[in-house]
Amino acid sequence: MSQHSIAANSNVAPVQRSMQRSRRWALLWSYFFLVLFAIFFLMPPIYMLITSLKDSGEVSAVTNPWWVNRPTFDNYLALFRSSDYLTFFRNSCVIAVIVVVVTMLISIPAAFSLSRMKFWGSTTLATGVFLTYLVPDTLLFIPLFKIFAFINQTTGIELINHWWALIIIYPTLTVPFATWILIAYFASIPKELDEAALIDGAGYFQMLTKIFIPVAIPGIIAAMIFAFTVAWSQFLYPLAFTTSADQLVLPVGIVTTLIKGDVYNWGQIMAGALLGAAPPLVIYAFLMDYYIAGLTAGATKG
Amino acid sequence: MASNVKFSRRRLIAGAASASALSIASPFIRTAHAAGSLSIGFWDHWVPGANDALTKLCKEWGEKEKVDVKIDYITSQGSKLQLTAVAEAQAKSGHDILQLTSWDAPNQAKNLVPVDDIVNAAVQKNGKAIDVVEYLGKVNGSWIGVPATNGSQVKGPCGRMDLLAKHAGLDIVKMYPGADGKPDKALQDQWTWDAFLSAAEKCHKGGNPFGLGLGQTTDSVDWVGALFAAFGAILVDAKGNITVNSDATKQVLEYMQRLVKVIPADVFAWDDASNNKYLISGQGSLIMNPPSAWAVAVRDNPKVAEQCWTFPSPKGAKGRFAPGLPYFWGTWKWSKNISAAKSLLTHLSDRASIEKMVIGSGGYDIPGYSGLRDFKTWAEVGPPVGVAYNYPPRGEEVVSIAAAPAPVAIAQQIYAQATMTKMIAKCTQGGDSVAKAIGWASSELEGFMRT
Amino acid sequence: MENDMTSLQVSAARRPITMKVFLRRKSTVAFLLALPLIVLVTTLVIYPALFSMYLATLNKSMERFVGLDNFTFLFKRETFWMVVKQSCIFAVTAVVFKAAIGFMLAHFVHTIPAKGQRKWRGMLLIPWVIPPAMSTLGWFWLFDPTYSALNWIFVRIGMDPVNWLGDPFWARFSVILVNVWYGAPFFLIMYLAALKSVPEQLFEAASIDGANWWQKIWYITLPMMRNIISITVLFSLIVTFSNFDIVRILTAGGPVDQTHVFATWAFNLGIQGNDIPLGASVSLFMLPILGIAAIFILRGVNKRGNEA
Repeated sequence: MSQHSIAANSNVAPVQRSMQRSRRWALLWSYFFLVLFAIFFLMPPIYMLITSLKDSGEVSAVTNPWWVNRPTFDNYLALFRSSDYLTFFRNSCVIAVIVVVVTMLISIPAAFSLSRMKFWGSTTLATGVFLTYLVPDTLLFIPLFKIFAFINQTTGIELINHWWALIIIYPTLTVPFATWILIAYFASIPKELDEAALIDGAGYFQMLTKIFIPVAIPGIIAAMIFAFTVAWSQFLYPLAFTTSADQLVLPVGIVTTLIKGDVYNWGQIMAGALLGAAPPLVIYAFLMDYYIAGLTAGATKG
Repeated sequence: MASNVKFSRRRLIAGAASASALSIASPFIRTAHAAGSLSIGFWDHWVPGANDALTKLCKEWGEKEKVDVKIDYITSQGSKLQLTAVAEAQAKSGHDILQLTSWDAPNQAKNLVPVDDIVNAAVQKNGKAIDVVEYLGKVNGSWIGVPATNGSQVKGPCGRMDLLAKHAGLDIVKMYPGADGKPDKALQDQWTWDAFLSAAEKCHKGGNPFGLGLGQTTDSVDWVGALFAAFGAILVDAKGNITVNSDATKQVLEYMQRLVKVIPADVFAWDDASNNKYLISGQGSLIMNPPSAWAVAVRDNPKVAEQCWTFPSPKGAKGRFAPGLPYFWGTWKWSKNISAAKSLLTHLSDRASIEKMVIGSGGYDIPGYSGLRDFKTWAEVGPPVGVAYNYPPRGEEVVSIAAAPAPVAIAQQIYAQATMTKMIAKCTQGGDSVAKAIGWASSELEGFMRT
Repeated sequence: MENDMTSLQVSAARRPITMKVFLRRKSTVAFLLALPLIVLVTTLVIYPALFSMYLATLNKSMERFVGLDNFTFLFKRETFWMVVKQSCIFAVTAVVFKAAIGFMLAHFVHTIPAKGQRKWRGMLLIPWVIPPAMSTLGWFWLFDPTYSALNWIFVRIGMDPVNWLGDPFWARFSVILVNVWYGAPFFLIMYLAALKSVPEQLFEAASIDGANWWQKIWYITLPMMRNIISITVLFSLIVTFSNFDIVRILTAGGPVDQTHVFATWAFNLGIQGNDIPLGASVSLFMLPILGIAAIFILRGVNKRGNEA
């Protein structure tokens, strides 16, 4: 004890105090910027909400745009009563769910194969799958027209202007990223588990279903959320491939049917847009941690 | 009946329920009917309820002829209608009848069934088709599209009586009165583009500038096209020669340099709705638009609505041109029911049918036949009564489309790329000289010559 | 069958390749499992891409083969080079801002106590969760020439209203702003996760040694996060470069083509201008530019991966 430690203690204290002070400053600055950016990030959705509660007269009047003088739910009610809007919603839901299932059916086996097994070209494929994103959708929709037209001529199956054509195309957007996420998750499963399973006489299928999938459930959920969000938000492909009102999905439906040339009904448009954003937001609210975990799979595991 | 229809909000649940039931039905089932089925893609009308008039006409015809009619209302928003035409032409399948925008009709000529029989018969009964309709609808001497009533529109001035009188001393109602008034020829002759500019300057001083779009959407391109035509500024002539470098072009660009100073600075970003909003907010004293703006004002800002008045465009050196946008109905060559399609189109070209569509649209639609200018709708809609009486072009007013008389393939590009408004933007907002803007346009036009 | 038996007896190591054996081979199973993926990518990505290269060599009416004429035509046009320049500036500026903001915010979220982090993270990710077409409509309404709510505030505090979509500079600014708003949260989340994997002791040791916050970032954080920064930047560059929704809804390329990017201009030329081969040519231009960017960035990642 004695003087040595007392001297040591008194040397440590000032350093600790200055570290505490700088930590407090850091905290203040952090909250300041976080509040600033939170305002920036949340301003548009909040403004959309405010507008959606206004009737069209109030929207056209030059009053305070940030306050609702005569709040009304008419816009939302009109949408719920509109058979068109409900059709869009239903189409979007059906397509998104099916696309998620299809994506998982393709991605999980592919990720299993690419993370664990080798075949000719598998390493190129694993890195290359990511590069399919280099081919943008604005390039592909014209040749895809031609392909669908060809299918129509030879087999009589109509794909253009039917929503199920979207189920075929959307996986091109969801599968690469989902596979990439899953490869990262599968790769983090220790190889000893494989070997133990093989020794116990398990076949590949059992390995997949009994070991990999249960362990990688967070990754699978994350991939499913990602696939759902991508399928739900698509704009260009449905804009190009679907025309009839009963085939449209939500993003295209709102933009094309609620905006009639030179007669916009902003209250309804904003209400429609918010309702259209609701499913991803709801899923996000409940499954935020999986959402984020899926996105960051590459950062933490890759 | 298997028809998918856009319902107005006042329609009740019965219709909605049947529509949603049909949506759930399996898409492969086509209801079997005696004389076949007909699938149609019409333009989705902006005026609420206008689609219903057309649906009713088609349904009645369908019941009489025992044809199963299925209608889709396709918006022109986001170029959807154009996309549809391109998609169906590529896929060689789609609707039997498709409504085609002004330029799509001649551009798809080789894929469309000639309809000379229908149009010639209609012309006999309804009067000659106006020039611009023939320019677009007749390719190599043969009609490939039937002039459509729904959607064919004119974008002339729609002004505020009170503001124009107060700031510019213009009495537009005296100039172009309603059905029971006597038009003032002297005043009308004075309504030139120079008078327009002077009125614009006065209204700008008074705090209510004119709202004239100079963006790239149709509202902007249309009125500028009429302006260019009135000055005689032809970009490409009928033979395909580039004639943009002319005195007339210089004059119209110099005119615009003066006009731009007295209209709002943000007009270069205006889309088709911006001028409507500008008028409805009460700020604007004049816009170039069909009566849709007034129709919305009736609902949202009645005080503004009752001061609105539609009247013809100003006169220029080469005449008085009304900015027009005619639509067509066409049948694809690969349609499986061409005879039914033709029969329906004939029915829709009857005077009675056309009148029903005009009534349903509240006078928005302008038929393409010169004999059909006397429907009561235009005289009667209001308030104020007479607001649309002068909307359909009569007398010395000639309907034109921007970039006419260039060969259609080139004109379509001039229109789609908004070359005229871009020229104006370059020598005003862009700070270039008139000569430089013309030079730029020249090189753009050379690009459009490609086949 | 018999052959198999005798062969087996003769040499256990050598097994003839019959169908059964082929199917049980590990590499075959692997291939079959990845087959749906391969089929999907080949038929719906690679084949259409190659087909569009063929389309780009046709004339406007798609009846004649014209080789590289479409490309030489594009090279001569002033608008084309403007679109190239705009697309690159747009993509690079937006990504730089997104990465910077994401990085900064990740630090701030990391600094506040752990209990609050989840709440802030949740709030700040919202722009990325809303479908971009929907949120761009909201921004479009915010920027409206007559009714802009932002201009309403500006006028109230004495500033001039901003011509958000009509003035060339402000239009470009607006497009970049909306893109940054939409994409920054993605960077925030990625960098936050990466930040958490940096050992805390390193920072504390640096503090004791007297390092200030800037030195800590430069000497500790950035080097450890190089890989994730590269990958997110590449991914975002690709997505931003080929952006369609935001520009299309906000400005449709205006005013006077000054906010056009490749995707929207290709749509404009191909569909609205009725020249599909030309539209395909413009779209194809994105490929080499993105490819070069990808090669540079991925090479850096692989190299560092090998060093580590």
